[in-house]
Amino acid sequence: MAGTLNSKEGIARLTSTVLRTAGGRSVLLRIPAPATAGIDAEQLGLATPQFQDVVMEPVAFRKAVSENRLLVSSHTIETLIGTLGYDAADALFETAAGIVVDGVLFTITNCIAYEAIGGPYCFCLTLRAPVR
Amino acid sequence: MQNTKDTFYETLRNRLAALNPDRTIVIRGVTRPGTLVEENELVTAVDVPDCFRLRWRPAAIDAKGTLPLATLQCEIAYETAGTALNSGMDRGRALAAMDGELLAALNQAPQNAVKTNYAGLAFGHAAITMNTSLWWASVAFGPTEIKDDRLARIATVDVMSFEETGEL
Repeated sequence: MAGTLNSKEGIARLTSTVLRTAGGRSVLLRIPAPATAGIDAEQLGLATPQFQDVVMEPVAFRKAVSENRLLVSSHTIETLIGTLGYDAADALFETAAGIVVDGVLFTITNCIAYEAIGGPYCFCLTLRAPVR
Repeated sequence: MQNTKDTFYETLRNRLAALNPDRTIVIRGVTRPGTLVEENELVTAVDVPDCFRLRWRPAAIDAKGTLPLATLQCEIAYETAGTALNSGMDRGRALAAMDGELLAALNQAPQNAVKTNYAGLAFGHAAITMNTSLWWASVAFGPTEIKDDRLARIATVDVMSFEETGEL
């Protein structure tokens, strides 16, 4: 037990547990399909990519007037990175079209990784609400 | 005006790619020349470095002549952090290189292109060459802006064309 808690994996699991018990909820990460190579239609805005919504849970979402934040454990992100074939969390979030929370698409404006024992245990995403 | 915007982008992208084939970007998993039109891409808060990002500003229409003359202002934004190998200490040179590429591409003769309608690409058809051309004025470089570890600049160029009958 002590060995697990002292490892990156242990802290990531602990973060997942805390997020799940502290009102953890699920959101959708909206990812566009890969672009079509050598086709100008997409570059000219004539064709739009297909999107895939991937469930991301548990997360803690805090909605504020000026800024929205989403906390997600590295355990969840590492699973997504492995499943979707990305190199790193940054690449995943830069590629994503946004986060769907209760049917509203938020744009990801920033991603900060909280680290301990040489590795991330939690990611904090800053989200921008759509202009209405 | 959409045909003017599309044709200018295609012309500039091809010229820049010919000048420096190594300037590429990866957008949604595909490597392509390092030029993009912001309004044609997914909305993102991330400014892609080391590439030319085109954005279109307000247009003016002069309807006095036989054909309406449209003038569109194109902003070309670009920024660089230099190379990691040099710890970013070459970012000034990298920005100057981008200035040079853009200037060479826009000053390359001819400073015009035959307008092309690309709308058919959406349905798998070929692009259609139109009857008129578009042309552009000299490029104006804005001041160097410091964005954290990046140097950025916005260049502006006016693009003119006659609007043909039935054109959007």
